[in-house]
Amino acid sequence: MSAQHIEHKEPLLRLAKRDDIARPKAWAIRAAAILLALVTGGLIILALGHSPIEVYGSMIGGSLSKGRALRETVKKAIPLLGTALAIAPAFKMKFWNIGAEGQILAGAIAASYFALFWAERLPKTVLLVVMAAAAVIAGGLWGLIPAAFKARWGTNETLFTLMLNYIVLGFVKYLQAGPWGPDLNPNGYPKIPMFAEAALLPKALGVHIGWILVLALTVLMFVYLNYSKHGYEIAVVGESVRTAQYAGMDVPAIVRRTMFLSGGIAGLMGFLQVSGASGSLTENTAGGIGFTAITVAWLAKLDPFVMIAIAALLAVLEKGADTIQTIYTIPASAAEMLTGIILFFMLGCEFFINYRVILRGKGARK
Amino acid sequence: MNKRILSAAVAATLALGLTACGGGSDKPAASDAPANSSAPSAGIAKEDLKIGFVHIGDESDMGYTYNMVQGAKEMQKNLGISDDQIVTKYNVTEDDACADALNELMDAGCNVIFATSFGFGDYVTAAARENPDVQFCHATGTQAHTAGLDNLHNCFASIYEGRYLAGIAAGMKAKEIGNPKLGYVGAYPYAEVISGYTAFYLGAKSVCPEATMDVIYTNTWNDASLESQTAQALIDRGCGVISQHSDSTGPATTAEANGAFQVGYNADMTTAAPGASLLSSRIDWGVYFTEAVQDLIDGTPIPQDWCKGYADGAVALTPLNEAIAAEGTQDAIAAAEAALKDGTLEVFKADLKGVNADGEEVDLSQGFQESDVADGQTSAPYFNYIVEGITEVSAQ
Repeated sequence: MSAQHIEHKEPLLRLAKRDDIARPKAWAIRAAAILLALVTGGLIILALGHSPIEVYGSMIGGSLSKGRALRETVKKAIPLLGTALAIAPAFKMKFWNIGAEGQILAGAIAASYFALFWAERLPKTVLLVVMAAAAVIAGGLWGLIPAAFKARWGTNETLFTLMLNYIVLGFVKYLQAGPWGPDLNPNGYPKIPMFAEAALLPKALGVHIGWILVLALTVLMFVYLNYSKHGYEIAVVGESVRTAQYAGMDVPAIVRRTMFLSGGIAGLMGFLQVSGASGSLTENTAGGIGFTAITVAWLAKLDPFVMIAIAALLAVLEKGADTIQTIYTIPASAAEMLTGIILFFMLGCEFFINYRVILRGKGARK
Repeated sequence: MNKRILSAAVAATLALGLTACGGGSDKPAASDAPANSSAPSAGIAKEDLKIGFVHIGDESDMGYTYNMVQGAKEMQKNLGISDDQIVTKYNVTEDDACADALNELMDAGCNVIFATSFGFGDYVTAAARENPDVQFCHATGTQAHTAGLDNLHNCFASIYEGRYLAGIAAGMKAKEIGNPKLGYVGAYPYAEVISGYTAFYLGAKSVCPEATMDVIYTNTWNDASLESQTAQALIDRGCGVISQHSDSTGPATTAEANGAFQVGYNADMTTAAPGASLLSSRIDWGVYFTEAVQDLIDGTPIPQDWCKGYADGAVALTPLNEAIAAEGTQDAIAAAEAALKDGTLEVFKADLKGVNADGEEVDLSQGFQESDVADGQTSAPYFNYIVEGITEVSAQ
């Protein structure tokens, strides 16, 4: 085979890993992606017979106007940010926790137990603290299960955590249709009753105090990941398990500890959802937050402070989609498509930031 | 490295997928219309009315929510209300999304809000308590009776009359195909659903005495694919004619695909399944919506509980699918209709006994008076006994 022959075999397109993309260039790619997403979404809006500028304007107005709109957007952002924070340590360790959804629900169930059966026996503050603690422990244990299996038998955590989601969801449905539903509702309707006043989180500036909690958590997580011994161990395990072992780290213990933390924070978000946002436990309590939070964590490159911006952006998109659905009577699914398109482009552009596409003949031969 | 990319892809796909399916919750950019007018006793000028709706689904279900939207249009036509006076929230789940939706509708300046799914009850009552100037009408609900709020109202129709008549079409067909086993896709095991399928069964049994019925619950009001699967399970269990208390046309199209027959609810489903759907019973919500909004204009109080039936046009049947209905169906229905009107026919009267989840028994040979508002009862049905001949198949 001659060198000439190989030359002919060069593919039309090939990819090369970028090692050192300049920051401005990376941001230019991101800006282009968002612009393209807006244009693509705009075409769909046009096809639906509306003006893209007006519709996008309503999305912003409907989610960021002072008062109720803004409060609701914040309410949506709280669990997204909190769950992204929960996922961060696990992802940094390259433990792919796709199970935050289930960990949220596990925490929510534990908190709901105390809300439903202990509300009259405990003073409000104690009750709320007990609910929060129960949620952290339940979520943590639910996260610990796949970690223990991975540490002991090397099971695949992606599938394991994913499947555990459906088990808790099934359990919530069982509670709803059985012991916590008809039996507690005077009319026998299969829905878990609303919590008593004592089990509801107080509000600050019109939104349940969970927002203060997650902001504090953001700072704590930043410090934990970057300036603590645990954070360092997580980073080393994430980079190379062998290095960690060589350095004398107890890798299985680190994996278990980190997943308990990850699940525990997700569980805490479950508590915020039932006690702050909805006032009851339903099968929509997690409502996909555990998965959307992965997008938040990933787009933020696991940086807790960037997560605030991304969670806010997604909350704006979600709230805005609801708004335009009402104002323009755009079908709900079409409004959500717009959100999907923006996310698709945002995630997709990370590919072009990490890789260079080289056309045939353009690649400089070294 | 490959693993990282793969995982990112998995995560991204999941995230995208789930975001796309995420339940909608909220609302319109608030118009800065002034807060709602004063107490209803003053009456509200027609042009100043703003009417909100909160629905659990959207029109595409071609069933429950579609029927509600038809009712709203009928009310608009009857009273001359323009489209921009109507604000509608679709696909609102029975959780805090409902509270959000109610808030947004009030922000948009609604004087009256119709919430149309049972599970909205707690949120509607809470909103009514906090906003005494806005009228809340909760369809199928039960809380107005006990909440003691002037601005909270419940409404329902005597749909059991329609169910009974539709049951006759099912019974005639069952007799014709020689398969007396009926099937029923039920939403939840509670009174509204049980009352409906018992009436349906009694109607079928009145023309096909050997009829029996299997009921499978979906534990949701609106999930087209689950409703289809449940219908399939019933057909696989040997049911030849099925009916439903669920929101979509899923059972109708599944029946069609299996050569079975179906009786629908809330909307004419013969377009979706021309070879299977015999007819549907439906509530004509236009009657209530019109009366309630008219009350608001006149300044008369909206009744706390409202329940009307066949005689008032609040319950109706969609046209019989003559091409596939058993011979004599129309006459049998007409006879029962006449008997209902002159009072010789009582729906819940049969030589059957039943028992409810609390172990209480009922003997239908004495008859049973379902939701009688005039008698101070709730508008929502409360017959919750499982009678002989009906089998609740435990959920999948």
